[in-house]
This record gives sequence, structure tokens and C-alpha cells, in this order.
Amino acid sequence: MTVVGYACDEGWASLRRSGRSAFVSIGTIAIAFATLGGFLLISVNVQDVLDRWLDAAEMSVYLHDAVSDAERAALEEHLRAQAVVAGVEYVSRERALDRFRVDFPELRDVAEGVGENPFPPSLEVRLRPDAVDAAAALSRDLAGRPGVADVRYDQRWLSRLVGIVTAARVAGALATAILMLGAAFTVAAVVRLSLHARRDELEIMQLVGAPFSYIRGPFIVEGMLLGGIGAAVALASIAALYSTVLGSLGSNVAGVTDLTEIRFLGVAELLLMLAGGVLVGGLAGIIASRAIR
Amino acid sequence: MIETQSLAKTYGRGMYALRGLDLAIAKGDFAFLTGASGAGKSTLLRLLLLQERPSEGRVVVGGRNLADLDRDEIQAYRRTVGFVFQDFKLIASKSVFENVSFVLRVLGQPIEQQRRRTYQVLKWVGLQHRLQAMPRELSGGEQQRVAIARALVNEPHIILADEPTGNLDPDLSLEIMSLFREINASGTTVLVATHDRELIRRVGRRVIHLDQGRIVDTPEPRP
Repeated sequence: MTVVGYACDEGWASLRRSGRSAFVSIGTIAIAFATLGGFLLISVNVQDVLDRWLDAAEMSVYLHDAVSDAERAALEEHLRAQAVVAGVEYVSRERALDRFRVDFPELRDVAEGVGENPFPPSLEVRLRPDAVDAAAALSRDLAGRPGVADVRYDQRWLSRLVGIVTAARVAGALATAILMLGAAFTVAAVVRLSLHARRDELEIMQLVGAPFSYIRGPFIVEGMLLGGIGAAVALASIAALYSTVLGSLGSNVAGVTDLTEIRFLGVAELLLMLAGGVLVGGLAGIIASRAIR
Repeated sequence: MIETQSLAKTYGRGMYALRGLDLAIAKGDFAFLTGASGAGKSTLLRLLLLQERPSEGRVVVGGRNLADLDRDEIQAYRRTVGFVFQDFKLIASKSVFENVSFVLRVLGQPIEQQRRRTYQVLKWVGLQHRLQAMPRELSGGEQQRVAIARALVNEPHIILADEPTGNLDPDLSLEIMSLFREINASGTTVLVATHDRELIRRVGRRVIHLDQGRIVDTPEPRP
């Protein structure tokens, strides 16, 4: 029998013998990984929303009513020459009013009550994503150009939001790392208990000259199993919570966000978490089994 | 085969378990190590098994100074040495067969070879009918025979036994000693620590007498 086969057999047997201590260890790992998974789930969805918003980033350049065709053409030409600009579209006063009527039919009377068309002509500028700073500079530059009445560029708050999300992500990663460390210590403690329970066997293994891979292998496998099972329990819990929460939120959040766009973790993320559990458990097993000399 | 030169082992300041021990045991020898409790018998065996390191001097086995061995070499060396203890040191959760085959298993031997060799040695010690028994179901003599089978299963060059008959009555002790004699007859070097003078007299082999960590005399073996 190979060392891997032996280690797997004995590691599994040892895990089954560990009983309650293994249960506690799996629970601790599960809590750590549920925290990580929760952060990851929120993080990927918030990131998706931010990406969509950033992709849809626009700048509105309102023009004076009396803007000449030459001024407008010069502005359009200037905008199209900018690297940050993905596209420019002219919206006349009439078209702006039509859009308003379509988008807000319940406010149709308000627009008509004003009498004169209240909407100015404008240039709608589609921006390339990840160019918030360049877009802000462009907005300042446009404000002083002939024919420009006002420039609306509200993406600064978006960049601040990106900053906040990044900070929250770092805080989440730190909290997860601390929990993970605690979980690793718990696994190491459980493996140490197994080691203590099998001390007679270990003594004999050492005296008969068993290679260290045979002596330590089962404890490393036990740690890997504890970590892997803990991560799997965490993922199952998050999946259950995800479908429950999504189901109960159905009617409450409709209109605020599109629920179909909230997604669960992808296969790669799930596999990464499982591998992380196995890795953390395995490392804890290695540390614990170093007591065998 | 086994040689010690100015070997000393101290525990704490000035507490000598062994001192100035010069000893040579030839290949294929059978020797008793005797002396009162605390004379240093078990300490010498622990040094030979590398469970402890000498404070002074050298232990040379098969031409190699044991102090030169690294961790993996120590394990390789131990595969050439069988051991038997007074308290048998059997694994309570494993059957007779598993206690013996376990050695071959952790040495990575093929399963068929494990089974064949384990059965062979258990038959040799007369326990082929108790293969599935658990250690707690065995008498002291039977447990010691399992321990001897375990020591033999990997065909070691040396057998070290520390008070192997300490828990057995005189008849069983002789039975166990006759097993050691047979092992020795096949060419294996045997070193048995015991304080049972009557047993030594009846078996009649080389005796190394220790007193307060020193060899006091090594009378020639009786025929």
C-alpha cells in the first residue's frame, strides 16, 4: 500500500474516532468559511453593480438655447477626440421632451403645464469605464467652452463608492484571515488530540522505523478532511441562506434592483473555497504533526 | 555487530546511568544484560534503539556510529533492529494479526507479502489459531509471543529485549527464551536485559553484568 493510501485510510479512521472534537473543528472552519463566502458573495454582486454603473457612466453637457451649429459641431469634435469618450449623441430640446414623456408618463401634464419646452439641448457623452479621473478633468474643461451652459458629471460619488467597497473588502479579508487562523488552530488542536490518542501506535511506528511520511501523513490527511468538510458545510449554509433571503426579498426590493442580476458564487469561486479549506486544514495538520520527532 | 566505546549517559548533574562502558557483541551472539534495577540495562537498550543519545562516548552498530545518523537514517537503522518490551507494547485496538502486519504496512510492503509474512511468524510463535484475537483476550505469554512475532516480522539483524519475561511465570519465561534461542540460531544477534538470574543460569549464554552503570564482569557463557 502506498503512503497516500495508508494516510487516507488512517486519516479517515482517525477523523471518525475523533467524534465531538472533530465536530467542533468542522464547525469552526465552517464559520470562518461562511464569513469568507458571505463577504465574497456580497462583494461579487456589489462589484457587478458597480461595473454596470461604471459601464453606463455618462456625462451630460447642456448647451445654451442659442448655441450655434458651429459651436455645437466644435464641441462634438472636441469630445470625440478625447480618449475617455466612447460616444457622443446630440439631444435636441424636442427629443428631450419626448423622452421625458415616455419615461415619466405620469408627469406628462407637468411638462405640458409649463407651456414652453423646459428642456435645453444637450450632448450626451458615453464614457469609457475606469476613467473617472480623466472624465472629471474633461468635465472641468468643458464648463468653460463656448455654447456650454452646464456640465453634469455625477460619477465622483461612484468613485468614492468604489473606494468604500474596496475598504470594506479589505476589512472583510482581514476578518476572514483572523477567523481562518482561529480555525487552523482548532484543527491543529483536534489533530493533536488524535495524535495523543494514538501515542502508543506512534511510538511503535517510530521504533519499527516507519518513514516519517507514514507517521505524519494520516494527521495531515485528517486536517485536510476537517478543512474540506468545514468549507463544504459553509458553502451549503451560504447557498441555503442565499436562496432563502432571495425568496423572502422578492417583493420588497422589486423596483430598487433587478433580482435576476444577483448571482451566487461561480464554480471557480466555490472550488477555490473548498481548496482553501483543504489547504488550511492540511497546514494545521502539518503543524500539529511536527510534534512527532 | 554492537560496540560501545567509553559510553556514558547522565541524567541531571552527575547522575550517571552508564559510565565508561566498553562493550562488544559479535554478530550472531546471544547475550544477557543483567544487574539490579537502576544498573543501566534499559538505558543501554534505549541508546541502542536511539530513543536517547549518549552523553559521552560512541555506540557503533554494524560499523556505523549511531551519532552520525540523521532523522531518516535513524528510521532506516531501526528497521534492522527488532525490540521486545516487558509490557509488550501491543496496540489494544488492533487484532493479533494486525499488530504484526502493521509493521510491514507502515514500511510500505505489498499487501500479499504482509499477509504471508505475518502468518508465517505468527505460526512460528505458535499463535496461528489466535490471529483475530484482541490483545486483551490473550494471556501474558501469548502477548509476549505476539510482541516477538512483531519484532521478527521485518527480519531484523538484531533483537533487543528489555525484561521480556518480567511479567511471566518461570515456565512461560523458559518458553519465551527458547524462542529467542531459535531466533539466535538463525543468525540474528540477540541482547536480552533481565535481572532473572535463574533464567540466565538455565539458558546459559554470555552474561554482561552491569552495576551502577559500569560493567563489573562478563563471565564466559556456560555450555
